[in-house]
Amino acid sequence: MPYDAMSDCSDETLLAAYAAGDPAAARALTMRLGPRAFGHAMRMLNDRAEAEDIVQEALLRLWRAAPGWREGEAKVSTWVYRVVSNLCIDRIRRRRGGHVDIDAVAEPPDPSPSAEQGLQDTARGQALQAALDTLPDRQKQAVVLRHLEGLSNPEIAGIMDIGVRAVESLSARGRKALQGLLAPRRAELGYDDD
Amino acid sequence: MTDKRKAEEGAMAPWFEAARADAPAPSGDWLARMERLALDEMPSPRPDPAAEAAPAARRGLGARLGTSLRDVLGAVGGWPAMAGLVAACATGVWFGAVPPSGVSDWLSVSAADSVMTLEPTSGFDDVMLGL
Repeated sequence: MPYDAMSDCSDETLLAAYAAGDPAAARALTMRLGPRAFGHAMRMLNDRAEAEDIVQEALLRLWRAAPGWREGEAKVSTWVYRVVSNLCIDRIRRRRGGHVDIDAVAEPPDPSPSAEQGLQDTARGQALQAALDTLPDRQKQAVVLRHLEGLSNPEIAGIMDIGVRAVESLSARGRKALQGLLAPRRAELGYDDD
Repeated sequence: MTDKRKAEEGAMAPWFEAARADAPAPSGDWLARMERLALDEMPSPRPDPAAEAAPAARRGLGARLGTSLRDVLGAVGGWPAMAGLVAACATGVWFGAVPPSGVSDWLSVSAADSVMTLEPTSGFDDVMLGL
């Protein structure tokens, strides 16, 4: 299948072509899924080298799963997001040096002095990223998938393996926490002038 | 962006918009490595059905002879039928070279004497005379 003709193909069709040994499908899927998965990993980890490692691992798993992929079983993009998300959360927990029971955390912690200092020095996007980094993992994951990756709540529920209501609750709590963290920076970052 | 999501974002909308506009992008070098990884892990191509159905004219002489032999075998009933044909041919050749005694007597001159000759044209003349 020529590369130009692949823009209209679904991820699932491309993965089937990949499993049949079509190099153009390999290139098309890499260009389609790689940047999105990388963007998500970067939002979650805020570390380019770690994001690259994790997405490489996720894509490797996808290529190896391709021959046994059954059409209609799962959306390829959802599957990739789920693997990347889980790998990112594992990495974040290792950074913290142990398991954190995120579901037991009802509200996000207060921003640390270093986070507040970081907010003062960053631009708008970076300010949001710094605030995101202070959220509990699951809230951060829900907010990133919903508001930065633009996924629907049912898709996010599939990725996070929870119900749609739980997704809505996590993202609502995340937004509320972000609003509290970023409110003092509005004037500084020019939002009051908009 | 859907209206529902916009409504959810509320006062946070400008922050999310700024972050979406500043999405982290991977380097070209890393993407090239991911492409190489995908190709390295890709299963071998399956045989092309179109190539399997290629016309015999595009194949070599050996392949075409093989195809012809298969066709002939198919027409006569396969290898068992071909074995019967070969045995019959060999028997015929053997009888020609070393005929059995009974057959030789039957083909002798005395036997040939009893052979009646038929001549259709003479019969035609008789009919014409009768007219």
